[in-house]
Amino acid sequence: MSVVQKNTSETTKWFLPGILVGLGITFKHLAKNLLNQKKMMTLNYPEQKYEYSPRFKGNHILTVKKDGSLRCTACMLCATNCPAECITIVASEHEDPSVEKYPIKYEIDMLRCVFCGFCEEACPVDAVRMGPEWQTPGVNGANFNYGIEQLAYRPQLKGGMMSLVDDEERHKYGI
Amino acid sequence: MPKCTINGKEVVVKDGATIIEAMHGGGAYETSDEPQKPGEKKQWAEGKVAHYCWHPGLSVAGVCRLCFVEIEGNPRLQIACNTVVTEGMKINNTSQKVKDSAKWGLDFHLINHPLDCPICDQAGECGLQEQYMEFGKYNPEMAEKKVKKHKVVDLGPTVVLDSERCILCSRCVRFTEEVSKTNELGIFNRGDRSEIGTFDDKKLDNKYSLNTVDICPVGALTSKDFRFRQRVWYLKDAETVCNGCSAGCNVRAYFNKEGFFRVKPVYNEEVNGYWMCDEGRDLYKFVNRENRYLKARRRISGGAWDEMLPGAGAKDAAGVLKSSGDAVALVLTGQYTVEEYESIVGNFVNEFKSKKIYHWNNNPKTENDFDGLLIRGDKNPNTKGLFKVLEKHGVKTSWSELEAGLGNGSIKSVVVAGPENLQFFPDMADKVKTLSKAQNVIWLQSPRFAGLDELKNNVWIIPMKSYVEKDGTFINHAGLEQKFKRVTTVVSEALTLTEAGDLLAGHHLLIKPALNTLVEAERPEDRVMLENRKKNEFVFRRGEL
Amino acid sequence: MSEIKLLTEFYNKDEFRGINGYQKMGGYETLKKALKMQPQQIIDEVKASGLRGRGGAGFPTGTKWSFLPKNNEPRYLLCNADEGEPGTFKDRMMMERAPHQLIEGMIISGHAIHSKKGYIYIRGEYFYPISVVEKALKEAYDAGFLGKNILGSGVDFDLDVYAGAGAYICGEETGMISSLEGLKGQPKLKPPFPAVQGYLRKPTIVNNVETLAAVVPIIKDGAAAYKKFGTEKSPGTKLFSLSGNVMRPGNYEVPLGYPLKDMINVLGGGMKPGRTLKAVIPGGSSAPVMNAAEVEKATLDYECLAQMGTMLGSGAIIVIDDSQCMVDMLGVLMHFYHHESCGQCTPCREGTGWLDKIVHSILEGRGRLQDIDLLEKVADNMKGRTICALSDAAALPVLSFIAKFRDEFEFYVREGRSKVKGTAYAEMHH
Repeated sequence: MSVVQKNTSETTKWFLPGILVGLGITFKHLAKNLLNQKKMMTLNYPEQKYEYSPRFKGNHILTVKKDGSLRCTACMLCATNCPAECITIVASEHEDPSVEKYPIKYEIDMLRCVFCGFCEEACPVDAVRMGPEWQTPGVNGANFNYGIEQLAYRPQLKGGMMSLVDDEERHKYGI
Repeated sequence: MPKCTINGKEVVVKDGATIIEAMHGGGAYETSDEPQKPGEKKQWAEGKVAHYCWHPGLSVAGVCRLCFVEIEGNPRLQIACNTVVTEGMKINNTSQKVKDSAKWGLDFHLINHPLDCPICDQAGECGLQEQYMEFGKYNPEMAEKKVKKHKVVDLGPTVVLDSERCILCSRCVRFTEEVSKTNELGIFNRGDRSEIGTFDDKKLDNKYSLNTVDICPVGALTSKDFRFRQRVWYLKDAETVCNGCSAGCNVRAYFNKEGFFRVKPVYNEEVNGYWMCDEGRDLYKFVNRENRYLKARRRISGGAWDEMLPGAGAKDAAGVLKSSGDAVALVLTGQYTVEEYESIVGNFVNEFKSKKIYHWNNNPKTENDFDGLLIRGDKNPNTKGLFKVLEKHGVKTSWSELEAGLGNGSIKSVVVAGPENLQFFPDMADKVKTLSKAQNVIWLQSPRFAGLDELKNNVWIIPMKSYVEKDGTFINHAGLEQKFKRVTTVVSEALTLTEAGDLLAGHHLLIKPALNTLVEAERPEDRVMLENRKKNEFVFRRGEL
Repeated sequence: MSEIKLLTEFYNKDEFRGINGYQKMGGYETLKKALKMQPQQIIDEVKASGLRGRGGAGFPTGTKWSFLPKNNEPRYLLCNADEGEPGTFKDRMMMERAPHQLIEGMIISGHAIHSKKGYIYIRGEYFYPISVVEKALKEAYDAGFLGKNILGSGVDFDLDVYAGAGAYICGEETGMISSLEGLKGQPKLKPPFPAVQGYLRKPTIVNNVETLAAVVPIIKDGAAAYKKFGTEKSPGTKLFSLSGNVMRPGNYEVPLGYPLKDMINVLGGGMKPGRTLKAVIPGGSSAPVMNAAEVEKATLDYECLAQMGTMLGSGAIIVIDDSQCMVDMLGVLMHFYHHESCGQCTPCREGTGWLDKIVHSILEGRGRLQDIDLLEKVADNMKGRTICALSDAAALPVLSFIAKFRDEFEFYVREGRSKVKGTAYAEMHH
């Protein structure tokens, strides 16, 4: 148990020295910033933007295979792992038997998403990733349920990000 | 009745029982391809043996080599499925030797198994996944190329085969040999090039083909109907009784808030054994929201249809019925529960004082058919129940009386309790024509039927609850009463026949006063949640793998 | 000791094949003697002689016959002429040169076990022996030695030839029974054993060609005379198929207990010029291999070889000299077992494939050092866990080759080429 001394002496009763010390620190910082604006911590957003690390969890990206089709196999592990339950997937049968299963609907409700990255961790085939984009406002009535068009083929992705897990390579090695 | 010791516990078993039957309770058994009881967690309990090829409803094959147990006095491990229990046998399956052999048995199964878990329907109820979590969780040592076989093979109208996933347990082959006796499946080639297949030009096309999908422990055989529709951990399940025919097979329906997805059989020694027919599996489609009436519809004098809530519709029709006096007839199909029949017949006899209650028989010619295994010709689950109730109230009528009554005007209003499984009612259109001769038709029906729009004069169509949404009793062809509980509610505004009958008779619906606002849960895991809520703890449960 | 010609006395005489020549040289006399004996007497005589199964397992024949239940069910006698074990070709010679010996032995055995029907299951690849045996059967039927009421004794016996279709697994007794029944030639679970429930669920005895032919001299001269040859626990003579890198490969009949080195050097003519003995597989490819030091001490009988960790098996002696690469040899054996596994039970079906793939990846230069340990682990865990013994037969060579010739395997893994041949796989087998 710690004992706190009561302020009984004359000088400390008024709290004035404490106030002056505090003010002194504040003015010291003000002077430093005024004289040396480059070293200031403030970021002048939106002219200056923060450089996030490559592992930053921003907007989702659905990767594509070499031929441009969606990598996702609709295994629903991301939807299961998501703590906000914001991913909705409807699977369907693909005509190509080597592909077999693919999603016809993959929707992420961005307003529910907490950007935790669990979906990226859960995915076994590197189909969903969290990309670097992080400010995507929408005006009233904007649709925040991002579908496959927006997640995989939006213009910033320049035709689709290639997945690092390639089934053809895997089959060639006989796994 | 020999006595043996299993893992230290003394057990008395039936004569001729094998070790695996003794360990699984000599009768019902459970692995991941049979649904588990709610709240029960699969674990390496001392009474369970890992197995793939054994099934209590089929002959013993002994090919998976996973069910080894240690018997005292025998230096070699023996398989539990083919070793008969003798007096004083001491059996043990928890020793390290047994666990090692099970681990390697599983390893051999997995070395050529494809990495298909993301696209395989069996994920979450797969035998290999379950055993891997029990005593696997090792890094695979196979560094060679896996054997490639045919994938997405169309075996027939209901089943798709994936040969790479197949572990060649031969359960499906034994099923077509012994149970359905159609011998469509066989194992072709030998060694690790073996594949399941059908003989030239023959398809897996019998009335019980989807049972092979149930018994397949892995995702090699998948149902075309259920393929890729939903992941199994998103589904809840509950037991009920099938309403396809008078056999009354016990089934387990799988559903979530989007609707029902599939139906699987539940073991019942007296009724259906381990199996159910394919026709019964399609009946969940009539229960889902997209195929139901959601609102009551009314048409006056053949005019336009207007909609209202079911309760309001019934009350509206009640007014008309009252004015008809006793020129009211009731047409019943054998599809409703005994309790509902009791209530509505009672209402008719006592309130309307009318004994004009007619049984709509949709299959008089094939009524007593039986295909030798399960399917009965009478496609109504509760005909016997209906007759029992009618007998109790002393009602003896025939359909021709109804037609005569409609013809000569002695029947002005007809209340029809329509069928649920429309596929077995080919005479629907005919009956609609017959019954539209009446002045007022009150048609109570659960699934939507476009032909009902042909009814003329004054028509009320009132949505009913389907068989999975109510508690009740069905009496099957052999007179066995089977009680079942409500599975879930799909259309909450719909009425049961009891409620409809009460409203049509002019009574108010009984609403039981709640004695305590916090209703005690019945299932064990719900009770757990409730306790935690009371303690103000948050228990977060996701869909389980 | 030189060759004894108990079974093979007249093999080199062409007329021995036909029934007239056979009878002229003393054939079918023993049959007449046996038909006068009681069945139990014959069984006792065979038991007393200590005759052991000559197909590979070495199970005492008389004991096997006495496992039959004592009831009135029809019994079947099946002759296992499938001879699938690599390295074995003794039964083929007997069927080509002395078919009547086999037939006589079968009739006597059929009489002993109260059987009225027998089958000779010959492997499909033996076109010529099948035709010879079928001709011999016809001659025997015509002469009245087969069919109803043989020679007026009241004994009925019918024999048929059934041709296989090219599966090693049909040489396993229950595999053969399945094949005869028209099913896939897959072994059945034991228990129940064939002596209790076999062909068509009736008691069945399955014996090798040589075993059934050896019944003839036993009944002719008596059990004591038969026991004069061989050792105490392994009496009698046996046909051995000597093959491999010797000067004079072929079939030799010697009494059991004959020294192995004499078989190779004296009877077989020794090694080829400039070559030394490296290894011998004494009992068909499923037997563990012996190195040169062990060969010096070995005698050809069941006990001695079992004590040394190998087995007499079917008597196929494969001689390997120092010009043969052991890794390559193991590759050939593993390919055989991979091809012949029936695919019923998982450890064998997957394990044989796995062993084959690992050995071939070593042969192609892609091996890793842990592959050698992996081979041992896989083979160890395949043993004893299957329905039939093919899994053990595939696992035992792996374990013995690696145990005795590990240096060759390690060299191959490290250098990517054979220690003995100096070249890699592609050049050895182009």
